[in-house]
Amino acid sequence: MTKDLEHQFVTELEHNQNIVHKVCTLYTNDRDSHNDLFQEITIQLWKAYPKFRGESKFSTWMYRVALNTAITLYRKSKKSIPTQDYESVMFKITADEYDPTEEQQLKLMYNAVRQLGDVDKALVFLYLEDKDYREIAETLGITEVNARVKMNRIKNKLKTILNP
Amino acid sequence: MMDELELLKRDWQKKDKQLPQLSFDEIYKMIWKKSSSIVKWIFLISIIEFLVPHLLYLLPSMSKNLAVWKDLGLGNFLLISNVLQYTVVLFFIFQFYRRYREISTLDNAKKLLLNILKTRKTVKYYVIFCLSLIFLSFIVMAVGIYLNEDPMAAMGYSYQPENISREQLKTTLIATVVVLGVVVTLVMGCIYFLLYGILLKKLKKNYKELKEMDI
Repeated sequence: MTKDLEHQFVTELEHNQNIVHKVCTLYTNDRDSHNDLFQEITIQLWKAYPKFRGESKFSTWMYRVALNTAITLYRKSKKSIPTQDYESVMFKITADEYDPTEEQQLKLMYNAVRQLGDVDKALVFLYLEDKDYREIAETLGITEVNARVKMNRIKNKLKTILNP
Repeated sequence: MMDELELLKRDWQKKDKQLPQLSFDEIYKMIWKKSSSIVKWIFLISIIEFLVPHLLYLLPSMSKNLAVWKDLGLGNFLLISNVLQYTVVLFFIFQFYRRYREISTLDNAKKLLLNILKTRKTVKYYVIFCLSLIFLSFIVMAVGIYLNEDPMAAMGYSYQPENISREQLKTTLIATVVVLGVVVTLVMGCIYFLLYGILLKKLKKNYKELKEMDI
């Protein structure tokens, strides 16, 4: 029985691991911390798994536990300095056609997003993952209206960074 | 001009190819690793906080101290304070456990943060209670010395200093005990608040951020 559960959980996580990797990318600066956070999220997901009874999609439930771990439970082991190799892999711009202006803009934006506070980052992350405001609000525990207001503020902040 | 964030979104959703991919076995190994989450730290430190004051009684020097209390005529105070202390400690442990159980990563971020901070608060009140009790016991000891005819003998010292009067000796003893009480309480308080200050900094900051969003 337990073996079944383990197998089922690991299979589902293996399929959906991109979500966790993306959270780690936003909240950490180097590969060690990335792996650290990934592991902590995996432990928390596994601990919560018996309580997840398929009421929502596995991925929806994952967003919540992963972000909660990043915002609340995860302790950075040390002050991490962004390492060049990590940056270049994680933030390699993936434009189909090379467009220097666009690339410059994206770089600036990724930088700006990573400098946001933990909670703002979570908001942007869910937005980038194409979640609607209802889901964003429910995940963070704020009202839908306030999620919208806050997101607009972040958008304006990014705009000023790009067009000083 | 296209919405900047839309541009970012489009790029973000193409990122999948660049992300690391872990195998089934690698993930399987991870689920058996130990968590190092803040909640776990708070839980462990709290357990230590609940236990340490009680373990101190097991030290031989502490048992000797208990005898001094009796000789100073403070046995009754000791008994009453012990009964009171254990009642309160039991209440705190019950409250702590109840709150700890409420912490769930399935809650929304705000509720999770709030529950952790509440659990923490229970321990904070417990520690304030213990610190007050420690300080109070020093004060009571000072009062005991004041009321005792021969405090030196009560404390287990048989020699009588020659060039100092009994009254002067008493005053010095009382002053020492009070100063010691203040110092011990302050030092323990500082260690405690520093420890949790560091541990909870991130939580408090994020909780404030979320609360401000909802104003």
